[in-house]
Formats: sequence, structure tokens, C-alpha cells
Amino acid sequence: ANAHMPAENDTLAFSLHDKMDVVFYHVPSIPLCPRDARCSLQPVLSFCMMVMMTLLVSISDPQPVSLSRPPQAKSCVCHMCGAHLNRLHSCLYCVFFGCFTKKHIHEHAKNKRHNLAIDLLYGGIYCFVCQDYIYDKEMEQIAKEEQRKASHILSLALCLAIVFFTDFFPVVCVCVCVSGVGEKYSTWEPTKRELELLRHNPKRRKMTTNCTIGLRGLINLGNTCFMNCIVQALTHTPLLRDFFLSDRHKCEMQSNSCLVCEMSQLFQEFYSGHRSPHIPFRLLHLVWTHARHLAGYEQQDAHEFLIAALDVLHRHCKDDNGKKANNPNNCNCIIDQIFTGGLQSDVTCQVCHGVSTTIDPFWDISLDLPGSSTPFWPLSPGGDGSTLNGESHLSGATTLTDCLRRFTRPEHLGSGAKIKCSGCHSYQESTKQLTMKKLPIVACFHLKRFEHSAKLRRKIITYVSFPLELDMTPFMASSKENRMNGQYQQSVDVFNDNKYSLFAVVNHQGTLESGHYTTFIRQHMDQWFKCDDAIITKASNKDVLDSEGYLLFYHKQFLEYE
Amino acid sequence: MSKDSKMRATINQKLTEMGERERLKELLRAKLTECGWRDQLKAHCKDVIKEKGLEHVTVEDLVVEITPKGRVLVPDSVKKELLQRIRAFLAQHAT
Repeated sequence: ANAHMPAENDTLAFSLHDKMDVVFYHVPSIPLCPRDARCSLQPVLSFCMMVMMTLLVSISDPQPVSLSRPPQAKSCVCHMCGAHLNRLHSCLYCVFFGCFTKKHIHEHAKNKRHNLAIDLLYGGIYCFVCQDYIYDKEMEQIAKEEQRKASHILSLALCLAIVFFTDFFPVVCVCVCVSGVGEKYSTWEPTKRELELLRHNPKRRKMTTNCTIGLRGLINLGNTCFMNCIVQALTHTPLLRDFFLSDRHKCEMQSNSCLVCEMSQLFQEFYSGHRSPHIPFRLLHLVWTHARHLAGYEQQDAHEFLIAALDVLHRHCKDDNGKKANNPNNCNCIIDQIFTGGLQSDVTCQVCHGVSTTIDPFWDISLDLPGSSTPFWPLSPGGDGSTLNGESHLSGATTLTDCLRRFTRPEHLGSGAKIKCSGCHSYQESTKQLTMKKLPIVACFHLKRFEHSAKLRRKIITYVSFPLELDMTPFMASSKENRMNGQYQQSVDVFNDNKYSLFAVVNHQGTLESGHYTTFIRQHMDQWFKCDDAIITKASNKDVLDSEGYLLFYHKQFLEYE
Repeated sequence: MSKDSKMRATINQKLTEMGERERLKELLRAKLTECGWRDQLKAHCKDVIKEKGLEHVTVEDLVVEITPKGRVLVPDSVKKELLQRIRAFLAQHAT
């Protein structure tokens, strides 16, 4: 796998059999151990150290997996005591596995004067002369490459020990393939260019637990708190922040009217460390340009602003991905990656029980509240799962979970709203049920406090209790299927992907005619701050959870690497 | 090999053969990160390095310091869950 020309005593690479390539790497004759000149392993190396990347072997055909695991299970044990635990190491000179903890590999090293061994679990190379693990650049590169290849293989474990004895030197090839469940995480290492940039810009900003970087007030430009509150929530959305701070937006818009660029600027302002409030006049102007319905100095609805902002950002983002066609179902822009979920709607015909399913994308979930003119299903506080998320029930208060249960309950569409059933070929009464097919990384819940019906315009001030941690499992489409099949989904599942943490709350004080928006945002895991236009103050968990709540922003707890 | 270690070896063999060992490792990894165990030990590593000095500390120093602490800090709930999983698996695949 590398271009070194084999020298006189080198062993060459070859395949063991069709399905598996065991790769032999020739390590050039350099002193392997940089710390101790005694370790200059020149003689050994020129013997052709077959340093096998013992961790991983890329296997093209996964079929032999079931055949290859038993050998690993049997042969990956210490040759002295038979144990498979205790930090098993493999000698790099001959076929010998020994435990590190019980010093069996040490004995072997001493007796045979084989001074190098490799850790079978992590691939670290141990030098018995230096009495420590050593690092060789070329080896590290090989390890990284092999690990990357292997992580593409799902659930494979293979160990093969092969010994080849030639006239002059024993060669050992040991390869252990570790299964990868998805892409293996590797820590960031700077490129040459990045190192250069770091050297030329020596100023460092350290994020300690008490630093206030990221917190900045926003001047109110005339009833613009509806915009300010959303900006606070967005600038504290971790993934969005990471996207903009790592400069991932490459603008292809000609004019200066790209909202994504402006967002990028905004993040720079917020994380600059400046403490004076920022004046978002450019942002306001761009919003007025691109979302005419929000222009003007009247108070607008923060929720409407959120949706409009996400929409414009999404439209302006499309160029980042080189996708020419802005297909709403196929966009991979940062907005979609973070905010877009899938809402499943199942319509069941009451006659033939045929189900017609559609899935629609959503950026937020709008929840009806008790006291609105739409009938709210009064769920008793002690009902099943109502304490699922540890929400407080202050004298029978409605919880967010109650609202979500109502949102996902089967609804009987009355005789005035018959659906054409493809099974019955006629109009029939049906029930409709909404569930979550795909959850977004950031889930935004909109409590419908503003009622604009023909009869009245009013604000519903009913207290709705919401939790710090939310488990969306009961509202998933998959849970519904399980319930229908009689299985109850445990929310203590192995890779429960449905857990969310609250990170921002937008509140509205006042009446429909004259009101004011503020936001609570979460910083450093457990610190909350209240953002009231230009004024930022520290807040407690209680302040947040006792607040009325209008827009609730939740972030997925665990993210998989793609 | 004692009877105990023989049993251990057999169980390990079975787990490895069926790929269950890797799955359990992933589960354990996730659980230990989730409960903050990983961060706790990382912090402890940093302390050890500061104490011994960056130039002189060896991997073995760290292993000696970290291993007992790491063992103690594993939450009971995680141990329980792993144990349950292994039991269930063995019950399912008993020969």
C-alpha cells in the first residue's frame, strides 16, 4: 500500500485469499523510538519489520464474517494464561500474544529480546526498552487510514494470526478487525494551512464556565423585539453556531442581500466578546426586503418571524450545496439539516380500515392550548405517561406532554368531512392521526396563544408546564406501530435517539395589542440567561420553567456522525 | 485455567462470534459518555499529567492512576444494564 521499493530482505505484500487482503507495510529503516537512541531499531527494521496495522483490515466481501469470527474468539488469547482480557498485546517479531497486566508479554520480550509489541485493542506500539508507548508518524497515518476503512464495515470482527518463516526472519502478521458501527470519531488535527493561520493569529479565546462570550444584547429598533428574541434563540442553537463560526457558508449571491451572510456576520458579532449591545439594522432591513409581510414598525408575531427567517435562510442556503434545483424535499442545507422534521399523517377509513399515509416536512409543531375555541381534550393529570418527562403538575396544570398527546391523538373527521377512500372507492368517514416520522435536530414547539378567529382576537394565558428534558418516543410513528401491535415502546432504549434538551424559551408579556417578547437561553450546559432586548441577566432553572412559554426550543441530546 | 476463567473465556467467545461483543462495547461507550464518566476520567488524566510532568509521564502511569478510579466511577445502573443484556443474550443463544 505504499510506494517504497522493497529492499533485499524485505517481505512483499500479497493476498491471503480472494476475499481478504492482508496488507503488509514496509517501514523504512528509521530509528523507531525517537526518545531513546538505544532503540534505534535499524537492524530489526532492515529485517523488514512487517508492521501490520493489526487493528484493521479492509475486507471487500462481508460474507466470510461469520466464518472469521470464531477464529478470533478462539485465538485472541494470551499464550501463557489463556485469558482474553488484561490488555492483550502481540509481539511484533513472532507469533505471541501475551497479556500486559500480568506481564506475560514483558516476559516474552525479555526472554526473546523482542522489544516491540502492539496493543491489540488500540494499536499502540510498546517499546520494552523505553518502557512506554511510542509514536511513529508513518504508523499513525497507516493506523488512521485503516481505521477509516474499517469503520465502513458494519459488525465485523476478524482476527487472523499468520506466521511466515523465511530463512532469515520470522514475520508475523496479525490482524484484528474491529467492528465499526458507523463512522468512527477521530479528533480534529490541523492541516498545514490551519497551522499557518493559527500561528499568524495568536490571540486565543478561552471558553471557561463563567465567560460571557456568546451573550450580547440587541437594541430594539422600534417594536423589533419579535425579531430580537428569535435572533437570541438562533445564535444559541449549538449546531447553527458551529456552522457559522467554522465559516461554512460560501456565498454565491451577487448582491449584498444574502441573509445567510448577514447571519454569519451576526454570529461574529455575538461571539466577538464585545459587551455593548449590537444594533441589528442590516438584519432588519434584509428581513423587510425578503419578507414583505413583516415590514413596518408594528409589533409582529415572533413565530411568524421565525418561520419567515428559516424560509429565507433556506432559500439563500441552497447554493452552499451546489444543488441547483431548490427541491424542497431534497435540500441538504444547514437549515434543513437542523430544523426539518417529518410529520406523518395517517387517515384511516372507518369502513375498510385502509390507511392512507402522507409525510410532510415541518419546521415547528404548533400546539393548541386548553381554553382555545378548538376543543381541547382534557387529559387528567394522573393519566398514563403524563409524568413521563418529570413535568410539574401545579394543581392540575397542562403539560407540554399533554399538548403533544392531544396533537398525536386519532381524530375523528366528522360526517361533514368525508375522505375519498381508495379501498372503498367512495367517500367514507375516517379518523386522522398525526405522529412524528422523523424528528429534527432542533424541535421548536409553538404554543398557540394568539387566537385570531372571526369572533375574537385574544391571547390565551393558560400556564403550560414544560420540562428541561423531553422524550419524544411516545409521539413517534414507530411507537404508534408498536402500540398497535401490542408492544409498548420502552423509553429506556439502547440507542434512544428521541431525547431532547431545552435550550431556549421565547416568552410574550402583555396583550395582543401591546406586548413584549423576551428569550431565555441556555449557556454552558446549565446556565440560563434572560435576554430582554439590550439587557441580559442571569436566570435560574425555576425562572425558565415557571415562565409562560410561547416558543420552546429543544435540541437533540445525541447526535450521530454522518 | 480455573473454572471461573474458563467460563469467562467461553462467554467471551460466544459474544465475539455473534458480534454481540462489539455491540455491547458501543452501548457501553455511549452510556459512559452520557453519564459523564468519560469527562470525569479525562479531567483526572489531565491532573495526573500535570502532577507527573508532561515530559516524564508514561502511559503506564496513567493506566495505574486511572484504572481503579474508572472502575469505581461506573454507575450501578450502567453495570446493571450491561449485565442484563449479556444475560438475555446468553439465554437466547444457550447451547
